[in-house]
Amino acid sequence: MAAVLEAISIGKTYPGGTVANDGVNLSVAAGEVHAVVGENGAGKSTLMKILFGIEQPDKGELRLEGKPISFANPREAIDNGIGMVFQHFSLVPSFSVYENVVLGSEPRNGVRFDREKAIAQVRALSEKFRLHVDPLPAVGDLPVGQQQRVEILKALYRDARILILDEPTAVLAPQEVEELFVAVRALVEQGRTVIFIAHKLPEVLEISNRITVMRGGKTVGQVNTKDVTEDSLATMMVGREIALRVDRAAGRGDVACEIKALKITSDTGSTIAEDLNLQVHAGEILGLVGVEGNGQAELLEAVAGLRDVADGAIYLNGESLRPLSVIERRARGLASIPEDRLARGLAAGASIAENMVATRLADRRYVRHGLLDLNAIKANAQALIERFSIRAGGPAFAVGTLSGGNMQKVVVARELAEQPKLLLVNQPTRGVDLGATQFIWKSLTKARDGGAAVLLSSADLSELLALSDRLVVFYRGRIVAAFHNSDDLTPETLGTYMLGLNTQEPETMRAALQ
Amino acid sequence: MSTLANQRGAAFLREVGRALTALVIALIVALIVIFVTSADPGKAFSTLASAPLSSNRTMGLWIDDVAKLTLTGLAFSLVFQARQFSMGVQGQVYVGGLFAAFVAMSPLGATPFAIPLGMLAGMLAGAVYGFVPGYAKARFGASEIVSSLMLNYIAILVVNYLIRAHLAPAGSGQLMTAKFPDAAIFPAIIPGTRFDLGIAIALVATVIVWFLLYRTNWGLKLRLVGHNPKFAEYAGIRASFVMVSAMTVAGSLGGLLGSVFVQGRAFGNLAQNFDGNLAFEGILIAIVARSRPLAVPFVALAYGYLRQGAQLMGIRTDVPTEMIAVVQAIIILLVASSFSLPGKALFKRLLGQSPASAASAEAAK
Repeated sequence: MAAVLEAISIGKTYPGGTVANDGVNLSVAAGEVHAVVGENGAGKSTLMKILFGIEQPDKGELRLEGKPISFANPREAIDNGIGMVFQHFSLVPSFSVYENVVLGSEPRNGVRFDREKAIAQVRALSEKFRLHVDPLPAVGDLPVGQQQRVEILKALYRDARILILDEPTAVLAPQEVEELFVAVRALVEQGRTVIFIAHKLPEVLEISNRITVMRGGKTVGQVNTKDVTEDSLATMMVGREIALRVDRAAGRGDVACEIKALKITSDTGSTIAEDLNLQVHAGEILGLVGVEGNGQAELLEAVAGLRDVADGAIYLNGESLRPLSVIERRARGLASIPEDRLARGLAAGASIAENMVATRLADRRYVRHGLLDLNAIKANAQALIERFSIRAGGPAFAVGTLSGGNMQKVVVARELAEQPKLLLVNQPTRGVDLGATQFIWKSLTKARDGGAAVLLSSADLSELLALSDRLVVFYRGRIVAAFHNSDDLTPETLGTYMLGLNTQEPETMRAALQ
Repeated sequence: MSTLANQRGAAFLREVGRALTALVIALIVALIVIFVTSADPGKAFSTLASAPLSSNRTMGLWIDDVAKLTLTGLAFSLVFQARQFSMGVQGQVYVGGLFAAFVAMSPLGATPFAIPLGMLAGMLAGAVYGFVPGYAKARFGASEIVSSLMLNYIAILVVNYLIRAHLAPAGSGQLMTAKFPDAAIFPAIIPGTRFDLGIAIALVATVIVWFLLYRTNWGLKLRLVGHNPKFAEYAGIRASFVMVSAMTVAGSLGGLLGSVFVQGRAFGNLAQNFDGNLAFEGILIAIVARSRPLAVPFVALAYGYLRQGAQLMGIRTDVPTEMIAVVQAIIILLVASSFSLPGKALFKRLLGQSPASAASAEAAK
């Protein structure tokens, strides 16, 4: 196979001195699915931005079909047949699918936008590549998986021969991942080339032909997928052996948190979740399984005190939490690692020390008579930076200057600085590299072993299966299944319940809900 | 820790460089405007550049402006740090000035308590006037931008009406009150100039605002709300309380500025439209100072100089004073758009791998 796209000893240093790429080589053959894997900060995104013309390399060259080429901007890359689907979509939610696809290169009839032709073209493309997208509905009404396929259509409409997918599976449920893979295979059959950036190794092993591994801004190697295993890949990525298994709870204590007939409604009054009944024991991790948007996140917010409850009760060690404010709940031993660290878990512009003390501003160790004890605040941050091995210049650095994994460690450090009684965790390792993931998992199991009742929600089923002692499945705001975790429980089994394809006997469920 | 000092130092130098470059570019544009509009551009420009230093009197004018610009800059910095866009300083200045005038014109005005009580009355009135849009936002979700702007008009027009109809000496036809008793007017630090207590008040206020923001629990909460209100809520900080209190405290600074206006040597009475739109220039001061209280007096010093120079140029030459508004707009545009310094890339190329970037690469490891 001849290389269709090559990157040869690419070097890129960002203003400010971060060396993102240093002697990176990539050789993508025509008609293959080529995966690029590596931890966060390994330089994958920078390499892709260079391939797509968003960034220009300082060193090295790109070759397209053997000829040296350079892209000053994405437009030139698109004109040369390269398309990219970002992790964060750039779609207009109120526009229909076909409008989004053709936006910027509309078919015209004189000066008029030829809608009929646009719809027909989009439909034809969708069928040809087995993407199954209806051109007519508004993009905002579609599930995430469909939106992603609209992005792929956008690239194909612009005649992309080489398609770059940046962490496409991060937002998808297992069944949606399967559908995406069907589409990817269809693309390859039709002679297109796919570059697939990913975190999750099982998926990479399933879909790709060859894999380029990056670490610390360099390419570690290129391998044929059939020659490697998950473990050998992980070792290449991290540069050392890592264990992604964690110890299960030794035994659980009494019921710590009890949720009874909880009902949550949105601001507009529509029901988000209802009839939620759960018990979490001290020293166990209860996994909340479900495609995003089925009520798990809202349940965690309601327990944390960030969302009003329409009906029902929440008890922590026998005390009702509903009348209590956020700060009162925290005083009773509640800790919470929120879904989106930048949106909710941190103040990126404030210093590490300020972020680490933000939830303890009623604590006399840090605040007396309304005045901050800056020495105590700094010492607290210093201690936590060491205890949680956060890579940072010091307590006074702004949190926004840290990498994603270290930002998440700041959140985890703050919440686990003291042993919590009830720990709420939502997407603890999203966008976090393997080393930090392993560390965060250990911190969570340590909190569990210290007697915390843990409610864990995650879009990553392997994470839920690795950590949870019991799992409950959410579908359309209700708990539809419950399991004691065992090696027999597979992501596929959970997936059938997550998508509402399967239902559980009430007795089985009740037994696992205790 | 030396990397931190470097980082902070670099950030500081970057901000200063940005502000100075904005100033230079704005001055170049001013120069062009002068060349276009003036018959004697040389004289006009030298007036703009040197007039504030030409006498004790003009220096007094300059320092008086600096004091007032500092106070309004502090008021805006405080609300901006809480990410509230209350534009109410002007209204607070008017109600603050009005209540300070009430004290000065009452029997208390002839006593030694006239100055502190006048300041206190101004601050309280300003605080109430700052509280209103804050409460309206917290309680009813009213946009603080709109409500504070509307309250400005109410304050200005009510004060102007009161002066014309009730407070001006009857039958005089003047649009101002009589001079306050001497005991109610700030003493001059340099006799015969406007160099009075105002600048001391402004500097003390600067330190107090800095202390509130960076050394108190309330200040940390305020900044966290400003950085990320959703995070503040998650951490259990009552964002609406912080928001309302920030606007109230900023209001008291606005009210204090009102008292400094009417009790300062520049006026010594309450006149119609007395603020000359200076209150709004606090927005520029706060933006250029990046809402850092300790930077505010320095920005006020530089901007006050430009402002006085332009006013004196307007009086002494044929260039209209309005062109300072052009300069002001250019500074705001340049600073607010966070432009990067021109020629930086060229500089780097000249130096090769610059030592600064090597150091930060080290820190990133």
